Amino acid sequence: MDSAYFQYLNYAIYGTAVLVMLTGLYAALVKKSLLKIVIGLSIVDSGLNLLIVTLGYLKGGTAPIFSSGYNGTQTMVDPIPQALVLTAIVIGFGVTAVALSLVIRLWRHHHTLYIDEIKNLKW
Amino acid sequence: MVGTPVLFIAIPLLAAFLIPLIGMVWKESVRIIPGLVLAYLLVLAINLLSYVTVNGPIVEVIAGWAPPIGINLVFNAFSGFLVTIMVFMGLLVWLYSYRFKSNVEYEAARKYFLLLMMLITGSVGIVLTGDIFNMFVFIEITSISGYALTAFYTGRDSAEASFKYLMMGSIASVMLLLAIMIIYSQLGTLNMADVASKMHLMDPKLKAVSFILFVIALGIEAEVFPLNGWAPDAYAEAPGPVGAAFSGIVVKAGVYALIRYTYTIFDLSGAFNLLIIIGLITLVVAEVAAIRQEKLKRMLAYSSIGQMGLVLVSFGIGTKEGVFAALFIMLNHAIIKPLLFFSGSYLVYHSKKKMISDVDGIGKLAPLTSILFTLGAFAIVGLPPFAGFWSKLSFLMAAADSNMLLVIGLILSVSVVELVYYMRVVNRIFFFKRTTSLLTRRPTFNAYVVMIILGLMILVIGFYPDSVSMYLHNAANSLFDKSQYIHSVLTATIQ
Repeated sequence: MDSAYFQYLNYAIYGTAVLVMLTGLYAALVKKSLLKIVIGLSIVDSGLNLLIVTLGYLKGGTAPIFSSGYNGTQTMVDPIPQALVLTAIVIGFGVTAVALSLVIRLWRHHHTLYIDEIKNLKW
Repeated sequence: MVGTPVLFIAIPLLAAFLIPLIGMVWKESVRIIPGLVLAYLLVLAINLLSYVTVNGPIVEVIAGWAPPIGINLVFNAFSGFLVTIMVFMGLLVWLYSYRFKSNVEYEAARKYFLLLMMLITGSVGIVLTGDIFNMFVFIEITSISGYALTAFYTGRDSAEASFKYLMMGSIASVMLLLAIMIIYSQLGTLNMADVASKMHLMDPKLKAVSFILFVIALGIEAEVFPLNGWAPDAYAEAPGPVGAAFSGIVVKAGVYALIRYTYTIFDLSGAFNLLIIIGLITLVVAEVAAIRQEKLKRMLAYSSIGQMGLVLVSFGIGTKEGVFAALFIMLNHAIIKPLLFFSGSYLVYHSKKKMISDVDGIGKLAPLTSILFTLGAFAIVGLPPFAGFWSKLSFLMAAADSNMLLVIGLILSVSVVELVYYMRVVNRIFFFKRTTSLLTRRPTFNAYVVMIILGLMILVIGFYPDSVSMYLHNAANSLFDKSQYIHSVLTATIQ
């Protein structure tokens, strides 16, 4: 894998990650169904996680783990973005769970999931 | 020293998760444990604050990795001051809500106190941490428990308010993480002091982008216009003490984060003007919106947003006097706004829609609550000799020193608006004839104690402003001394 090719691949992954984020943002901001909004929010999270993992990747890097097979010469990818992404995934999971439980509450209260019909407060 | 800063995070977090377990054995403990924890933390905070005043900042290294690699907690005069306010407010909120409904069941109390402890843990963590990603985690802890607390009552439209808050909050968290990753990809570090010392190496364009992302993301937590759409609904639909906790604890943490980024981490010269502009817009829009409100709690929420605008303007002045005034306003707001929320929620307790018109003539039926509400209203508007007067005066003096006459004119005219809508409520309380047949509710004993403590504090600070000004001066100095902050963190060793 030559380095120009690697560079293009990198840009392609960045582009994909940003595209995923924008897709999620579109869903969260435009869709009328509460469930689709929740799905959109979690797609934004996934796109961001992809972006972060890509940031820490090095060409030809291996997993950043000191194991018996490691000979000290290979490059390792940056472990910090991966640790951060793990945290972000857990947080995203928690937010999605809370959001879905709120959606259930709203369903019980209004018997609809369309935000146009849930207007007791000013949106 | 009697303890270390990590206890502020470890103990309430542990208590929050132990509450359900101990509650299985002894049900009353779910109410008692949070109070004991918060009382201990208050003692600890006061002790550490006086230690810090003499001996300089405490930097605690977590898990044996010295900065800039590991996470560190910084307890200096500035963060210590805010932590003390937060823990104190947390204790009062606990006392107020100890039995805030006579028919409170075990199940509800367990969830409520668990979430309240998480909210306090997160807010205190935001203020203490010295690591930008760690701050993100604490912001998320605060937000998630905030969403759940907003939706605490099942009967009202609270789920709707909470969902609104959640949507804004999760978009904010994406932006925050993006900003953090831009900094990390440029500087390769997450430690605040290390980032601050390397900030000049960063590409100016990316620096501006990440700063704007930070302002937007933290602005949602700090209720900055136009990102505060969640706040009025959340305040109005959440239980009364939660509204007080938001305005006394969470918003303080959001403002702290914003200020830490502007003053310490970024070295952008335009940032202070940006603070003034967004602060002024927030202030004017919030106060104009407040005068139009018909529901009492929404009015208080908009007033709270307006006060935060004033704090941002005051920080944006960029002088030591400005920071002093901003901290003074934050302290007063932390005392006065909970008093207004506590007494206000009893004034409209039995009213379904919580309209301002429901307080007509309630002054004769509930004199003490009404007087305490009036005291809070006078104080927050800034009438002498109450606490709010001194903070507004020091703000005006700071602005005058920097020749910001336009800002002074605007603030004074907005103060008139503030005076009008508070006096309107006070007028209704005392001089209108009672038209509704709503019953009044006598506050519980605990609620009286809390409200009287807050009322006394307003009077004490009003008559003896010098009693707090030493702490405020130390806090302002410590925020300004950026090089000392960086030095004390980067030379910290493992104790």
